[in-house]
Amino acid sequence: MSLKKFSELFGDLDSINSTNNKIEVLKRYFLLNEPIDNSWAIYLLTGKSKKRFISGRYLKNLFSQIYEYPQWLIDTCYLKVGDSAEVITLLLKNKTKSRNKKLSNISLNELLSKTIPKLSILDEEEKNLQIKNIWETLPEDYHLIFNKILTGTFRVGVSIGLITKSISKLINIDEEIISHRLMGNFEPSIDSYEFLINKNINLQELNSKPFPFLLANNIEDKIFKNSINNFQFEWKYDGIRMQLIKRLGNVSLWTRGQELVNESFPELVEKISHIKDDFVLDGELLVWNFKEQIAFDFSLLQKRINRKSPTRSIQIKYPIIFIAYDILEINGRDIREIKLENRRIELEKYFSKWQNKTENNISDIFKICDLIFPKDWPDALTYKENSRENNTEGLIIKKKTSIYSSGRKKGIWWKYKVDPMQLDAVLIYAKGGSGRRAGLYTDYSFALWKDQELIKFASAYSGLTNIEIKELDKWIRKNTIEKFGPVRLLKPEMVFEISFEKIQVSKRHKSGIAVRFPRITKWRKDKRINDADCLENAYKLMKKKS
Amino acid sequence: MLKTKQEDLIRYKDGNLYCELADIWIDPNKPVKKALITHAHFDHFTFGCEEYISTKETAILLKERVGDNIKIKTFEYGEEFKINGINISFHPSGHILGSCQIRFIFAEEKWLISGDFKLQKDETCKQYEIVKTDYLISECTFGLPIFKWDETNKIANDISKWISNSPEKTSLLFCYSLGKAQRLLNEIRQTNFKGNIYSHDSIYKMNNCYKELGIDIKDTLKIENKKKIDELKGSLILLPPSLSKGSYLKNFKNIQTAFASGWMSIRALRKRSGYDKGFAISDHADWDGILEVIKKSEAKNVFFHHGDSEALSKYLVEKESINVLLFGK
Repeated sequence: MSLKKFSELFGDLDSINSTNNKIEVLKRYFLLNEPIDNSWAIYLLTGKSKKRFISGRYLKNLFSQIYEYPQWLIDTCYLKVGDSAEVITLLLKNKTKSRNKKLSNISLNELLSKTIPKLSILDEEEKNLQIKNIWETLPEDYHLIFNKILTGTFRVGVSIGLITKSISKLINIDEEIISHRLMGNFEPSIDSYEFLINKNINLQELNSKPFPFLLANNIEDKIFKNSINNFQFEWKYDGIRMQLIKRLGNVSLWTRGQELVNESFPELVEKISHIKDDFVLDGELLVWNFKEQIAFDFSLLQKRINRKSPTRSIQIKYPIIFIAYDILEINGRDIREIKLENRRIELEKYFSKWQNKTENNISDIFKICDLIFPKDWPDALTYKENSRENNTEGLIIKKKTSIYSSGRKKGIWWKYKVDPMQLDAVLIYAKGGSGRRAGLYTDYSFALWKDQELIKFASAYSGLTNIEIKELDKWIRKNTIEKFGPVRLLKPEMVFEISFEKIQVSKRHKSGIAVRFPRITKWRKDKRINDADCLENAYKLMKKKS
Repeated sequence: MLKTKQEDLIRYKDGNLYCELADIWIDPNKPVKKALITHAHFDHFTFGCEEYISTKETAILLKERVGDNIKIKTFEYGEEFKINGINISFHPSGHILGSCQIRFIFAEEKWLISGDFKLQKDETCKQYEIVKTDYLISECTFGLPIFKWDETNKIANDISKWISNSPEKTSLLFCYSLGKAQRLLNEIRQTNFKGNIYSHDSIYKMNNCYKELGIDIKDTLKIENKKKIDELKGSLILLPPSLSKGSYLKNFKNIQTAFASGWMSIRALRKRSGYDKGFAISDHADWDGILEVIKKSEAKNVFFHHGDSEALSKYLVEKESINVLLFGK
């Protein structure tokens, strides 16, 4: 089956807003195409492909070289379009005069398993020549897909959930099963597709895969009407949500982003492998302050996440812990369908058994989460308000009777987060957005006062409505003092309320601080720049925390 | 090099093109004594001028849109007339029916205002005419090389396919009432789509005007009230973009929407627009079109207005060694 079909699928999905129609289109595609092409389609559409063969910059340079376009002109176009692959696709239009489109019938499989991987083994000159050659012999309609695969920017607004639903409908099997089969690694092949659509359910095959994660919703007022005794309360840690799996003696650590991270945390894998039982645990990985028994800041965890095979000294410097919230499977028995309060009993029972029986002490790297027992809702509020003291983000509230289903299931788990910290800051820089926000100034930098000077302290991209974005964009264009490439220095005039979750010392920034998850929560048109906060206020927030 | 010339025959004044020697304004956005009108789109016209001068077709379209209460003098394409010793003439610009470029000749110097223009095929108006000039004032709406229009019939076929692929739906295609709508009607007639086409009142009126002016437009049905909802399945409805937001759409059931505009060639703009689909068809010239007009006009000096001309100006200076001037605003 040719690339044409996939290209049409891409176009259709891109121009359909209704979820049901998207599912229909996907179903039809899966029905009509070869398993191997379906497998690749799933791989691309679900973002399982993380590989980038060349960078957007490289692509732009290459085009500039071949077709003698000035680099600045391509960059100007990029500001309008917001995606390198698409800019080059638009610029390539009518450029490739060759009538011989010999790649017209190339299959998705051939393109992805042969043509593109082959590029990686060529030296630069050969590679450039080969890309040019592909551009010239591939029909124009497929350029976008080819360029997007090359630059690893394949996104079409199709979620894993949508693929799951389509396949579930296609073969009439529960979504949960499909979702489970799609977890973890997915190597595109006939087998992986056949496995996905297999009508026989065989749990053995799912051995290496985590269960679909159950996620908490934002707090809803209606829960306060219920008796507090119906709920289990836990701290909301700011670490990496993970499933710790031990099946048939093999340990695997899966993040919620479905990455296998055994190599980053070998000390945990080693310790767990000594436990005698098999199990699946849901929990959080943190860098832990064992002296005070609280989590260290997320920034320390970042030092571990992307480092494979950490040295002994790194392991000591950034000591990790796995805190289990829940037990989903024990010795091959899937217990997700039993009530949370009973799962908790199992979790406590097994944990104390492991603590007593395992030769090596496991509690220096593994524990189960402490529960909190507020006496009433106002008490729960107090716990929440004080959660910064132990470096947590608030509480997680779980219905004691809840079963472990998947996704952001409504009405069973909630996050009760501590209110963000806020400062009023002055907008000083703006930069063009990318993707959907191309052509608009949507990336903003904000500053606080230090004596008479405005010092940049945070950048934020989100929080304004589309109407506000347009209004601000217009203002930015009229109030630019200076342009530095894509960045504009602005007349200090606009004040915004910036909210963030954490604040800490940073030597990298002139302001001396770094904040986590900064976002705009209000456009303070009622404030003048002299009303904005000073840096001193930010330092105060930091002190208050510790 | 970019430079500013002071004693230009035509210059920018209060945000408008103005010829001081003739005391005449071109497409002014405020009431003046005398206004030359390049075409009948509302952003090129304002009420309250003492006298308007335009092509015959533009005059008829304007009167249909704003009433007979305007004093308007007309000239044929190519016909020369004199104001204060300046020879002025209208030439087809291919944008919409009646649209023109305006040429001024004074003291053996030629000035040409391109008006809005396109080079692409459009059977509902006169083809763009190459006019030689010394000074060119060109529009620059799509002045980046990412803009390259597909053949009109390809877009028309895409529209036809879009409708036929969802026979159970009512297809709402948003487009400008004057020019784009009639061009689309003419093109869609030549595709495989044989279903009913409805026009919103504002478009219907313009269709009639075109017919009166001898342009053979496909007959459309007037979309009058809600009772026909079920009959609208599988048909095409042309609507002006102003109706795309708000409650008007509630008049229909099971719809798909699209917007016909040059901006729709960019995915981010398409996604942001809120329409299901975008068809990149424009009545303005694309990048290659603007370059072609500049070269063929043999202008030594070029000015731009309408649109962001920074990149195009720099490109012309660097790559084509064409002198680009900036208006003294």
